[in-house]
Amino acid sequence: MVRRYLRTCYSSFTAHVFDIPPRFMVFLFLIVLLLLPMAELSPYYLSIIIQANVLAIFAVSWDLLVGRTGQISLGHAIFFGIGSYATALLFKYYGLPVWITIPIALLIGSLAAFLLGFPCLRVKGPYLALVTMAFPLIIGTILKWSPLIPIFGGEFGIRGLPAFFSFLPDPTPQVNYQRIAEYYLTLFLLFVSSVIIYKIAKSKTGIVLVSILDDELASKACGINVTKYKLMAFMISGLFGTLAGCVQTHLLHVANPPNFGLTLSFAPVIITFLGGIGTIYGPIVGAFIYLILDKYLLTDLLPKLCEYFNVTLPDEFEYAKLLIFTLIVIILVIKWPRGVAKFATDKLEDLEEARDLDERGPRIWKRYKRKEKN
Amino acid sequence: MMHLLQIENLTKRFGGLIAVNNVSFHIDEGEMVGIIGPNGAGKTTLFNLISGFLNPDSGTVKFKGGNIIGLATHKIVNNGIARTFQVVRPFRHLPVIANVMVALKSPRGARKIEWIKTFERKAVDMLEDVGLTELMLEPAENVGHGDLKRLEMARALATEPDLLMLDEPFGGLNPLETDFLMKSIQRVHLDHPTRGIIIVEHKLYALMQIVQRVIVLHQGEKIAEGTPEETAKNKKVIEVYMGKAM
Repeated sequence: MVRRYLRTCYSSFTAHVFDIPPRFMVFLFLIVLLLLPMAELSPYYLSIIIQANVLAIFAVSWDLLVGRTGQISLGHAIFFGIGSYATALLFKYYGLPVWITIPIALLIGSLAAFLLGFPCLRVKGPYLALVTMAFPLIIGTILKWSPLIPIFGGEFGIRGLPAFFSFLPDPTPQVNYQRIAEYYLTLFLLFVSSVIIYKIAKSKTGIVLVSILDDELASKACGINVTKYKLMAFMISGLFGTLAGCVQTHLLHVANPPNFGLTLSFAPVIITFLGGIGTIYGPIVGAFIYLILDKYLLTDLLPKLCEYFNVTLPDEFEYAKLLIFTLIVIILVIKWPRGVAKFATDKLEDLEEARDLDERGPRIWKRYKRKEKN
Repeated sequence: MMHLLQIENLTKRFGGLIAVNNVSFHIDEGEMVGIIGPNGAGKTTLFNLISGFLNPDSGTVKFKGGNIIGLATHKIVNNGIARTFQVVRPFRHLPVIANVMVALKSPRGARKIEWIKTFERKAVDMLEDVGLTELMLEPAENVGHGDLKRLEMARALATEPDLLMLDEPFGGLNPLETDFLMKSIQRVHLDHPTRGIIIVEHKLYALMQIVQRVIVLHQGEKIAEGTPEETAKNKKVIEVYMGKAM
């Protein structure tokens, strides 16, 4: 009896809560993100979210190339690295301000994508993945080559790069204006780049890109110059990948060889599969899950909880962290193979559909109708 | 007189197998031609050679007087040859209407959009020609095989080809669907009097009703050519289909 009543309440609650148009949901999400600094988070938490914003830009650009065009790239770090080194070198040798180096780096990045596209797009599927994976590794090794150390700084990279908002007052223990300004900057860039990529994916060009993903041969038979469109996807994706690299460099004040590393090549893969491949909004959700899982739950929350319950973590925990993290990611991907964001939107769509058909709506209505009939 | 499509001594070998052997024929504007033959006769290979998926070992393919051998597939399509596939190849993630839009996005498809029609209107018109407007927004992966066959044709028609090549359009269709598709092919033929159509088909009953000329292939060679009535009486053709008389 009570259970039934509770269930009725729950279904009426879900029917009311989830009856929000998706556009409004996005708006709400944005408002929450905009008001986040008001919560006076410690700079550490804020920097996690800044990182998530940057990685989200990076993953969204990867999603356009792989989820929408089907050109599997496992070396997206090359654009990240090009972006970070281009801005760093331009600052080091010409002393240009940030606002000039980033556009130049974006140009270099898309040019590199264009040049790389020619050899890469001659191969398909797993071979393409391997070829793209090789490029950042090669460049990462060249950077560490001893004759080039005076230029690229070898293993340490190029340090001492300026922050975005060095004109703002220095951080005090209470409040860090620079960090907050950086947060808004990355949020703005994430919003702009994801909207641009989303619009491209939804446009007529985006339809052609999906047709290449589905069946390249049939798309050729429709008179589409497949190579042109693939190159275009490669360049757009490279452009935004480079943007992520530029921003990251100035946030951390350093450009070093790990920017070309395998970890960064695979980060967008994990993020996109967590969030939902081919959705464009999925990777944004994925990036937040990825970083909150890695930098907050396992690094911050878990030790605090253990302290609270008087459990001492073994010293080896630092090494086991990656293992636990990987396990959680694998479980999430198995549970929701189409991604967390995709799962959520599918659920919402199901609910919307149920509301259209009165018969399948929440039970409370049914009973009400039955009464009416009698 | 210049033919729309002229094929001379076309040969293609796969290792030791000769898939297409010294085949020559031509197609005029406004003609509807059927290509028939038993399994493995080289019909689909011939299609692949014309549409640029394969390169021939020897021979020439001339379209509107110009050589098209060695051109990329998309260039051939933009020259005005569109084809469908024997095994349906829809873009499964896209809705039915977007499948047609891909073809409209090609240079030739975009060229033919009249100023008064929008892109979307044109796509709907193409679907109307084959009777698929009801399934317009359905993802192609949810659409049945018979409708996909029609979608293939709508996609080929969207580039407004001068030569339409249909590879087994009736394959796997029930009699009702066959009848419907037959009628839409005939309507397409009537609407564009200068368009040539080539149909490869196994269902001779349906094919013989609509084509004006039939070319019979057997083991890569052309063994007969003529009107449907002539070829049906041709001894060689009967032999190929039925076996030799005892």
